[in-house]
Amino acid sequence: MTHSEMEELYELYLLGALESDQASEIADHVHQQCSYCLERLKESSRVVESLSGLIELKQPPPELRARVLSIAPTEIKKSRSPWPAAFALACAASVALAFWGIGQQNRVEELNRQRNELRSALAILSQADTKTVSFGQAQTEPQGRVFISHNGGVVFLGNRLPELASGKTFEFWLVPAKGTPQAAGLFKTNAQGIAVNVLAKSVNPADYAAVAVSIEPVGGSPQPTSKPILIVPLG
Amino acid sequence: MHPDDKANDALLIAKLKERDPNALSAAYDRYGTLTFSLIVRITRDSSVAEDLVQEVFLRLWNRIQDFDESRGSLSVWVLAIARNMAIDYIRSSHSRFSAKTRPLDQTDFAPISYKPNEVDNTLDNTKAVREAFTSLNPNQRKVLELAYFEGFSQSEIALRLEEPLGTVKSWMRSALTRLRTAMQEGRSK
Repeated sequence: MTHSEMEELYELYLLGALESDQASEIADHVHQQCSYCLERLKESSRVVESLSGLIELKQPPPELRARVLSIAPTEIKKSRSPWPAAFALACAASVALAFWGIGQQNRVEELNRQRNELRSALAILSQADTKTVSFGQAQTEPQGRVFISHNGGVVFLGNRLPELASGKTFEFWLVPAKGTPQAAGLFKTNAQGIAVNVLAKSVNPADYAAVAVSIEPVGGSPQPTSKPILIVPLG
Repeated sequence: MHPDDKANDALLIAKLKERDPNALSAAYDRYGTLTFSLIVRITRDSSVAEDLVQEVFLRLWNRIQDFDESRGSLSVWVLAIARNMAIDYIRSSHSRFSAKTRPLDQTDFAPISYKPNEVDNTLDNTKAVREAFTSLNPNQRKVLELAYFEGFSQSEIALRLEEPLGTVKSWMRSALTRLRTAMQEGRSK
């Protein structure tokens, strides 16, 4: 089969509606990692699985949630595999603080806090009005993204931030077009150098010209006491 | 897919790969209802669907390291697992034999409903596909339903509908072309 002939059959292949000889031929071709076909197959998979969006939704029984969640262990494992580079920026929520020398007696509280932070981050990312601003193109400067939603709040994800001296912390700022910066959270980086800050409250992006990060004494400052290490325009 | 859905997926995938139980909880909150509804639609049995939903998320939890995001979104992957499991179930159980031997009008659920307000817009361009689906003629809808929800091949559909194979292929091809075009147009808007 030629590519153009196969293109007509990708959805049928994914549906399992082809006869076995045609299905085998496409499967063999796909297994050769043909990039052209893989891309078309990806498109076709969206068409096929979108059909599921046509069904009438039925709420599962509430107890099913507990059954499903029983699959996972009840606490976060300490051993961690390296994060895929493509997602390094996106996966910082809640994990960063796990490496901050948490006392054993505070572990449960900390895990709860991390869970809440993750939920807040997901909620902000899920908002229809969430705006995404990327920063840091050069290899040597801080890099990351800011997600800002009028309804949800702000999530800051960054890496390649400078190392903090003892007794210092990063502080996140909302910078209005006029007026003084507003403190919007304290954060540190994790062992991989990834940082996250979640501000879960209504923030109108139109009210702010930029967000910024500065290094402040532990406990934070009401106003920046040092030159910001990062300023990200929101416009 | 909306860029923020991608970011949301990326966060979920990364956390699942970290074996974070909170991520499994978030995945269930996002895909549980749709997965359950799809499996109920295919198996026609809520209690079976509950077991299979648990199996779907168990596979998600255990196989997330194999998930290749360059091949498609997490939602597509989860739903493909769910559909395959449900179809495998009906194929391997006696219910499959029973369903195949009963007349169509006694075995099929009501046709797919178009209820925009009740449908979660989890997947790419679902709205565009829904609208395109409503524009299909009954034969085109029927062959898609039989393929997607029953897992029938085109020749099985032809046998079941007592129509020539060429006719079924033509209905299927035109229906899929319309859906594909609707998705492409939806993305370009």
